[in-house]
Amino acid sequence: MDMNEIKEIFFQECEEQLAELESGLLKLNDGDRDPETVNAVFRAVHSIKGGAGAFGLDDLVSFAHVFETTLDCVRSNRLDPGPEVLKVMLKSADVLADLTNAARDGGSVDEARSRQLIKELEALANGEVPQASAVAEPVAPVSKAAPVAVAPVVNDEGFQPVAFSFDDFETDEPASMEMPTYEIVFKPKSDLYAKGNDATLLLRDLSRLGEMSIHCDMDTLPSLDRLSPETAYFSWKVSLKTDKGEDAIRTVFEFAEWDCDLDVSLVSGETAPVGEELPMQPVPFDLSILDDEPVGPIGVIEEEEQLAAQQEIRNAAVAAAGTASNVLQMAQSAARAPAEKSAGAAASAAAQSAAAQQAAASAATPTIRVDLDRVDRLINLVGELVINQAMLSQSVVENDANGTSSINMGLEELQQLTREIQDSVMAIRAQPVKPVFQRMSRIVREIADMTGKSVRLITEGENTEVDKTVIDKLAEPLTHMIRNAVDHGLETPEKRLAAGKSAEGTVRLTAKHRSGRIVIELADDGAGINREKVRQKAIDNDLIAADANLSDEEIDNLIFHAGFSTADKISDISGRGVGMDVVKRSIQALGGRINISSKPGHGSVFTMSLPLTLAVLDGMVVTVANQTLVVPLTAIVETLQPEAAAIHSFGSNQRLISIRNSFCPLVDVGRILNFRASQANPVEGVALLVESEGGGQRALMVDAIQGQRQVVIKSLEANYTHVPGIAAATILGDGRVALILDVDTIVAASRGQSLKPEMSLAAAG
Amino acid sequence: MASKKTARKTLSLAPVLDLNEATTLHEKLLGLKGSDLTIDASAVERVGTLCVQVLMAGAKTWEEEHLSFTFSKVSDAFEKTTQLIGVDIDHLMAKEI
Amino acid sequence: MKKRVLTVDDSRTIRNMLLVTLNNAGFETIQAEDGVEGLEVLEEANPDVIVTDINMPRLDGFGFIEGVRKNDRYRAVPILVLTTESDAEKKNRARQAGATGWIVKPFDPTKLIDAIERVTA
Repeated sequence: MDMNEIKEIFFQECEEQLAELESGLLKLNDGDRDPETVNAVFRAVHSIKGGAGAFGLDDLVSFAHVFETTLDCVRSNRLDPGPEVLKVMLKSADVLADLTNAARDGGSVDEARSRQLIKELEALANGEVPQASAVAEPVAPVSKAAPVAVAPVVNDEGFQPVAFSFDDFETDEPASMEMPTYEIVFKPKSDLYAKGNDATLLLRDLSRLGEMSIHCDMDTLPSLDRLSPETAYFSWKVSLKTDKGEDAIRTVFEFAEWDCDLDVSLVSGETAPVGEELPMQPVPFDLSILDDEPVGPIGVIEEEEQLAAQQEIRNAAVAAAGTASNVLQMAQSAARAPAEKSAGAAASAAAQSAAAQQAAASAATPTIRVDLDRVDRLINLVGELVINQAMLSQSVVENDANGTSSINMGLEELQQLTREIQDSVMAIRAQPVKPVFQRMSRIVREIADMTGKSVRLITEGENTEVDKTVIDKLAEPLTHMIRNAVDHGLETPEKRLAAGKSAEGTVRLTAKHRSGRIVIELADDGAGINREKVRQKAIDNDLIAADANLSDEEIDNLIFHAGFSTADKISDISGRGVGMDVVKRSIQALGGRINISSKPGHGSVFTMSLPLTLAVLDGMVVTVANQTLVVPLTAIVETLQPEAAAIHSFGSNQRLISIRNSFCPLVDVGRILNFRASQANPVEGVALLVESEGGGQRALMVDAIQGQRQVVIKSLEANYTHVPGIAAATILGDGRVALILDVDTIVAASRGQSLKPEMSLAAAG
Repeated sequence: MASKKTARKTLSLAPVLDLNEATTLHEKLLGLKGSDLTIDASAVERVGTLCVQVLMAGAKTWEEEHLSFTFSKVSDAFEKTTQLIGVDIDHLMAKEI
Repeated sequence: MKKRVLTVDDSRTIRNMLLVTLNNAGFETIQAEDGVEGLEVLEEANPDVIVTDINMPRLDGFGFIEGVRKNDRYRAVPILVLTTESDAEKKNRARQAGATGWIVKPFDPTKLIDAIERVTA
């Protein structure tokens, strides 16, 4: 391992500490006064500072230091972490995160902001508690007139200027001059020995400074009967000829200064006698023996078998401990090593023993760190295994018509095992959404500041797990939605008060699992969607016909259309030109759905439903115009064999199917994807009743159902190009490529009567 | 070779004479009081001040009781450390006869 | 026989830096993540010297040092406190708990090795 790798570990650790810091501060914000919470927050900053110092990341160190000092006031109950204090601290946590990122990626930080916060933190540490300002005020601009001198805020010896000494230059010049001689009186106290120090070590270090004569004063040493073996009796008078200076002498006693009486005085003149009455013994310079490793096996005398036995035990213990620690070290390096293709079995075995060892060592967190590359590779391989297993099953079925052989049974077991392996492997990459949610609290703070709104973010279900690949792609659309919710959803404090609401708006972010998917809800208690405005805008923008008859739900969902923005003025916050259509597209690209429901005056709820993984999908394999397609099973409500009597035509070529006394639009998948020129006869096919998130039900018509199976998702975008109406592709058991239908897009496109067709589909089969 | 009389006893010192060993060594010496004593320090790898104090207190006590207290063999480490801290054991070294 | 160093620190970064520095200097390094684990592995580690952090979860450096000093077998082991704390009060507490010496972070490898050499024979 080299320093760069350690640095990488440091930044990883910073991320964890920053998350710890933020969640701790948020807990404090919620009134948590557990000292351990405060300690954890303090440790997080402290730890970042410590590591940053080791890598010379001075900006980070200075900021962390000031932050830490203020946190220490909280820790020692000198500062009450009230809302105003926490506001500063949460902002400081944001800046600390920025500084960390800048240190890693070389970006820049808002220096004015960090200077401002340093001032605020110092003010807090000095006992100046900020006055609770009225509702969130926009960030106070930093006074440009008087630039703040920020450098010397800290004076930890860690980053003190290096004391420059001319001694080094002077040493050889006065070579002919006499070397200074010091007299050192050194009287250890018993504590010195109790603390694991020893006069022998101090005198050894002292002797290395120059030429030393020594006198040991044993006068206080009692007879054996009255001796207390752990009491200090000896003291020394030393004469030391050295050019290293008194500081060097004092440094030798640095660790001992409290546990001894020490007197150092300069006795000028080379031959200065150090008390004639003292017999001085010159000490030889060869002290190497003290550093030497003990030599060989030790000779043992018969009478002292006990001692020998002790030694043997000791040796054995040392050896045993040695092996154990080797395993531990090996394990550590294996667990931390970057993924190496050649690492192979040995490394993984080591990693396993590491896991076992570490689990035993600290039962609290039985986890190992594994490079993500390794997991990804495993997941890919398992994906291939699934495909391979499917192909094998298929060819067995084809070559074994009666299907009774034991091979078939074996295959079923294999299929089940494969499935279990896949689930277990996917679980490795599953992670709680917590880090993404935590990032959102910062976004909320920032926008609240910028817009002058007062916002409280409540998160629920942070520990809901989802595949890491999904998490990584979740942050961007979520960020945008949060911004949108605060900027457009919530009203200003004045308007809220006027509407009889509390000045502080609430944004609630929730995650939960629902039928094999993760559902993320973003609810605000703002004004809700102004449907009249949305409708008018949609008409103005030619999105709908002026006389279109739309349900409230359908109007609400219009905001997901390209180029749609209802805010009267374009604000910086939601981002120019990035509308909810982009959010919807990125959610769809994840195989997810999004919809909105809104209650005027009470707020809006955005609901996103996402697959738990981007790697596999349970699908129904269907035939459409001789093409094989896969329809995600989660979208299908039921399948029906349409009867002629249930089909009703209306308009030019619209058809409805009646299902249990209600009508549902019938959509010919082959037609809408341009697989064929004219509509197929519904009676000859199968209808799949699908439900799109908020989009109502549709009956998708396909020619035939081939079966149901799990498929491994292969991105079309990565391998080909985006095709409207198609979510992805997969490889079937027979080796053919099949397209996976994007049900939401198909349903949306089928609303052709009121929406401009947003797809121009090329046959993509 | 040190002369070996019947009454003479030998004490071999442990390799590590640290804080913990001081008490042990003290008790051992107390148990050997009244006999001429030869100390074998040939196995000593490390010796701290406290143990030197115990040994020197022993030497003093033995001297007071007019018994012989000598070092038969000393390791380099033992010799160097005592020399370093200004404790003279030359007069306690067993004389070759 | 290599000198054995037990390091106790909750920061992965610092643990790694210690490991690299100490191994490069020819020490055998055993690592623990907090005071509790430090005391647990003491027997197995059988260290010649201990380097410990102060701020740690579960059991901090002060408690850890006290624990070592109360251990009949290991109470003589020199303990160096590795800390960014510079104020006298913290040093004082560490000393009262029984620390032998200290190394101020950010440590440079030379300072660390030097301090270890100073307290070990």
